[in-house]
Amino acid sequence: MTTSTDTPMVELKGVKKHFGDLEVLKGIDLRVDRGRIISIIGPSGSGKSTLLRSINHLEVIDGGNILLDGMPVNRPDLKGLAFERHINHIRQNMGMVFQHFNLFPHMSTLDNVTLAPRRLKRMQSTDARKLGMELLERVGLADKAKAYPSSLSGGQKQRVAIARALAMQPKVMLFDEATSALDPELVEEVNRVMKGLAEEHMTMLIVTHEMAFARDVSDWTMFMDEGVVVEANTPDRLFSDPDHERTRHFLRKHLGSQG
Amino acid sequence: MEFDFSPVIEYFPTLVQGVGVTLLIGLAVAVMSIVGGQIVAVISLYTRRVVSWPLRFFIWLFMTTPLLLQLYFLYFGLGELILIPAIVVGILGLGFHYMAYNADIFVATIRSVSDGQYEASRSLGFGHIRTLIYIILPQAFYRALPQLSNNMIIMVKDISVLSAIGIGELVYVSQYAISVTFRPFEFYITIAVIYYLINLMMEAGQSWIERRAAYRR
Ligand SMILES: Nc1ncnc2c1ncn2[C@@H]1O[C@H](COP(=O)(O)OP(=O)(O)OP(=O)(O)O)[C@@H](O)[C@H]1O
Ligand SMILES: [Mg+2]
Repeated sequence: MTTSTDTPMVELKGVKKHFGDLEVLKGIDLRVDRGRIISIIGPSGSGKSTLLRSINHLEVIDGGNILLDGMPVNRPDLKGLAFERHINHIRQNMGMVFQHFNLFPHMSTLDNVTLAPRRLKRMQSTDARKLGMELLERVGLADKAKAYPSSLSGGQKQRVAIARALAMQPKVMLFDEATSALDPELVEEVNRVMKGLAEEHMTMLIVTHEMAFARDVSDWTMFMDEGVVVEANTPDRLFSDPDHERTRHFLRKHLGSQG
Repeated sequence: MEFDFSPVIEYFPTLVQGVGVTLLIGLAVAVMSIVGGQIVAVISLYTRRVVSWPLRFFIWLFMTTPLLLQLYFLYFGLGELILIPAIVVGILGLGFHYMAYNADIFVATIRSVSDGQYEASRSLGFGHIRTLIYIILPQAFYRALPQLSNNMIIMVKDISVLSAIGIGELVYVSQYAISVTFRPFEFYITIAVIYYLINLMMEAGQSWIERRAAYRR
């Protein structure tokens, strides 16, 4: 495995994806260095989720390359079980956070967090418990360790989901609209956890509809539309002085609606 | 007509034995039909058609023909080929019958677990099979519980059908007692009460399980 510091943590080269006749990703290039935080914005249907899901191989791309810390995600040369083993290994190095949390409802929050290290790393249950409690502490939910997801608020669920994704000590975290399904008053508690990760220099790709948060938290912002990266820049530059009319148009609509 | 329950008391140890056999068969059939039902459901959902279609056909066959016929089929058919005790035939017959019904429930509840659950597990690095074992099947099981326990309550009553192939469960032993004592009504009333009590216990168990399952769904 590559660990040289100048290898990008995530690299996309000419990534293409279509669903039937619909071209959703039309050749995306992206380089995410270690510890960087990239926000991805763009109108509905522009391909943001598809891009993130492709990095995790939840969508299989049709062209181009995706590398995680130098390792190719797509390995058309591997078949069957060999590919399963490969992709499981890749995924263990990425944390994914979904819009609808997808917590496991039949397990306590602590078990949600510790399932992967226990079963995939064969971590002893006392160690797993310690790790799980640390992570729940970190997202401010240590007191909910024994609670089941059905008794948590949306914001709490998403924080547990983040803790769960962190449990395998991923190299990169992928967030797909982590706060879009939340009531407005619950957004901040999740954003705070994500900012905490940013301060610890976690490498992150954040798809979001929240322009203020994107501007605040990220080092680099990508504006996508119709399957292409229209422009990418530092958030200060992109939000205050975009190069493209399409970006300006999108921002006018979205910054306007946020007041 | 006068009731005289003294023969029932006289034959009470026999009845208790019959209840024991009934409960034992019930337990065996419950385990077999629930474990087997899950396996059948998984196979019929996740394997190629050459495997899943014959299995679906068997499910359909067991669900569309009478239990008694299935039992006779097994008892006289299988009994011709190999020597097996009637009680094993009975457990297998009831077991397959309810396995089909339970598999039908599991197929539906496995399908009802959202794709998001599957994706969340895969994104953590679990393979397909481990995702099934740790994530999908437990959730499908909790969702299946209400219908599953209904099936098991009906199943316990169906155990009486096994008297037709000479298994000494509750109804069979009382028939014997009746043939000796000529007091059918007293025995039938007693059996009805015993079944009612078994039912009551199962319903209590059902609501206990239901309470524990509710917050895990
Ligand atoms: N599995 C699929 N099958 C067919 N079409 C799909 C599938 N997934 C996504 N699409 C289509 O691909 C396009 C891009 O979808 P995607 O979810 O990536 O957009 P998005 O930028 O995340 O949008 P939103 O902001 O609404 O989440 C959309 O037109 C969508 O309808
Ligand atoms: Mg999306």
